[in-house]
Amino acid sequence: MIMHAVVEGDQVAFAALYDRYVELVYSTCLRILAEPAPAEDATQEIFVRLWRKPESFVPERGRFLSWLMSVARNRAVDELRARGRRRRREAVPEDDQDLLATIAADGDDPEQRAQVHEEQLLVRKALTGLPVEQRRALELAYFGGLTQQEIAVRLDEPLGTVKTRVRLGMQKLRRALQDRV
Amino acid sequence: MTGAHVSEEQADEFAIGAMEPEIAALVALHVNDCLPCRLIVAESRRVTAGLALSVRRARPPRALRGRVFRETGISRPGPFTWAARIATAGAGLAAVAVAVAAFTGMVSIRGQVRDLRQENVGLQTQINDALAQDVAIKAVTRRLSEAERLSSEIRADAKDDRALLLAILSPESEIAEVFAVDESSAIGRFVWDREQQRIWFVASGLPARPAGQTYQLWVNAGGRYVSLGTFNTDSAGFVRYQTWAPPTIESSENAVVTIETAGGVQERSGPSVFVADLSGFR
Repeated sequence: MIMHAVVEGDQVAFAALYDRYVELVYSTCLRILAEPAPAEDATQEIFVRLWRKPESFVPERGRFLSWLMSVARNRAVDELRARGRRRRREAVPEDDQDLLATIAADGDDPEQRAQVHEEQLLVRKALTGLPVEQRRALELAYFGGLTQQEIAVRLDEPLGTVKTRVRLGMQKLRRALQDRV
Repeated sequence: MTGAHVSEEQADEFAIGAMEPEIAALVALHVNDCLPCRLIVAESRRVTAGLALSVRRARPPRALRGRVFRETGISRPGPFTWAARIATAGAGLAAVAVAVAAFTGMVSIRGQVRDLRQENVGLQTQINDALAQDVAIKAVTRRLSEAERLSSEIRADAKDDRALLLAILSPESEIAEVFAVDESSAIGRFVWDREQQRIWFVASGLPARPAGQTYQLWVNAGGRYVSLGTFNTDSAGFVRYQTWAPPTIESSENAVVTIETAGGVQERSGPSVFVADLSGFR
């Protein structure tokens, strides 16, 4: 496990980890923050923190990729909130065609890249298979940094409806991504 | 939270970030100390991580890598750098290989040119040698030709000498002494071979005539001088002139050698040099 080497202070391992995941982290931050400069800053902070406190990742709590994406999402949302200008990305940020668009497999680790690519296509297919309301609720929460209450206000929907959409959407995604990601 | 633990629905709300911040803080505290709830949340995070993977991929600027490494204090190059360096080194090696190949090609071409030049020098030497030999051969040939010419002349002279000698020894020949008109030291003989109808004029100590002049031999036949031709001397002042006796002349009173213009004349007009009395001839 590459993170074991990073915990040991292996700079080469950290460099390899960076090269493998930086695009995913940066893309997530950019998706949330909508601007390259703060996305770069957030990405930098995430990896610097990862190097300085690699023990924050606990393998028993899940896969590294899931943890890293969670860290990236939370860091970007924190930044979004700190800037006080919530970027509401609820206006259908990516249409179905975009979601199903082919991803350029130009990474430096072909095997890892292919795996991530496959999972990415799987997620996109799962998202496009969701009802628009459910997908929108999930995206507003995950990428918009909105709570269910805020989503309800934004969409002018009852909180219970939003909760149901989030729950159903998550369940469908879970089934679609079973044993993956 | 349901009771003391986190439900799957709450874990999903927590993982996707849709939970109110105060409740999320409580869940986080509980998850830290509750392994079953931590696993449930981890599963929800696995699903929400898929949302992150669905994002359209964007490539960060390359400068970001340097920023991160500077911030972390990493000095050892990572695989990317190593790959880049290896690629660069590979490109460099390729360039060097190309340069070496090109250089080798140039060296090869230069070597070939050098060999050709050496071969050309060798050929030129051979040509020069052949030319020198040709010159030598031509010189030898010329000398041989000259020698052959001299030999031919000598043979001709010998033949003339032999003929003159035979004429002098022949009972059919008549010989008259030739006298110089002036008091020069020149001496000579006039020989007429009646059998062969040949006439010789032989003299020595006779100065060579300058350009534009010649000696001309005459015989007096019935009070009229008939030309027997012109001649000149060699560098030693010797002359042996041979001609055919005109068939119309059976006898002659005397013979005269005059100095005439080059090519000879029809009638004697120049000064006399030699005189031979032929009155004693038959």
